Amino acid sequence: MNNIFFIIISLITIIYIFYSIRKNKLDITSSFIWIVFCIILLVLSIWPTSLDWFANLLGITYPPTLFLTIAIVVLFIMIFIQSKKIEDLRKKVIDLGQELSVLKNEHPPKTAPKKSSSSKKQ
Amino acid sequence: MNNSRVLIVIPAYNESDNIGQVLAEIKKNTPKFDILVINDCSTDNTAEIVQKAGINCITNVFNMRYAWAVQTGLKYAQKHNYDYAILMDADGQHIASETKKLFEQAINTNSDIIIGSRYLKDLGYPCPLFRKIGTKFFSIMIRLFTKHKITDPLSGFQCLNKAVIDYYAQCGNYPEYPDANLIIEMLLKGYKITEIPTKMRVRENGVSMHSGILRPIKYMITQFYTCIVILVKYAGKKKGKT
Repeated sequence: MNNIFFIIISLITIIYIFYSIRKNKLDITSSFIWIVFCIILLVLSIWPTSLDWFANLLGITYPPTLFLTIAIVVLFIMIFIQSKKIEDLRKKVIDLGQELSVLKNEHPPKTAPKKSSSSKKQ
Repeated sequence: MNNSRVLIVIPAYNESDNIGQVLAEIKKNTPKFDILVINDCSTDNTAEIVQKAGINCITNVFNMRYAWAVQTGLKYAQKHNYDYAILMDADGQHIASETKKLFEQAINTNSDIIIGSRYLKDLGYPCPLFRKIGTKFFSIMIRLFTKHKITDPLSGFQCLNKAVIDYYAQCGNYPEYPDANLIIEMLLKGYKITEIPTKMRVRENGVSMHSGILRPIKYMITQFYTCIVILVKYAGKKKGKT
């Protein structure tokens, strides 16, 4: 029963990722790591024994630990990538803000002339 | 004085109590220098006071904090081809008549950066203990790693030549606190930095950006960390203004 639940979760997530790409809400490159993560979850849900086999291969006695370790490592990598992207965006926002501030100083926005009462339509 | 074009850059955030006096003092003492105030989205009437005084004022489109407000001014200086930029605080701490000394020293010594130091000579500046410790600590650090004696690495009263204006204006990594870390970086890159003794006052009105308990701690940690990162970054690199 548990397996079916995780298979459904993985499939829904994969479908939602593709839906977000189609709607241009998620960048194709950014979606890669999520898709990989979902596929791993899907494989483990369909063949739960594969986790035992892989844990045994690495000498881990309690297999769920392997899954949690992989999840934490993947999340750390993703946070690091996001952190770099945020820093890049922060620099660009400040640069744009500075350029805009200087331009606004050089070309102050023209205030709309006040309508005099005589120019009002009768 | 030669015909160099000089811009005094004053970043200001909520300095309505001080800015009028600061500008009047500058206009009286250095009428030949252009003045630019960077209003960093003040919530008080700083911008109005500056405009009433007939001084050029750039209002940042959002609050960028001190360092990036300074960088806005340097971008303006670069764009308008100024030969020198003098950085001054809006809190009245820096004395306008001392800007001439900074500029003359920049011309005479052909230095890239002139720093106005409170501690090169005892000119009676009452320094709080925490600041004194911080200044001494970073001063030793600079001496240890660059073999240069900088007595006031936390001084924001500086005169920059064109090469430095261009470098800072285009610098993608202009630090949040451009103090000892930036001095170390510039020295390691081969820029010439000279200090001269300058008188300074204590802020009379308003709140300093380093006030409170947590902010100075954050400042010290950030400053120390960035100094170490810069030392690692330039380890083994040859000096060169690139």
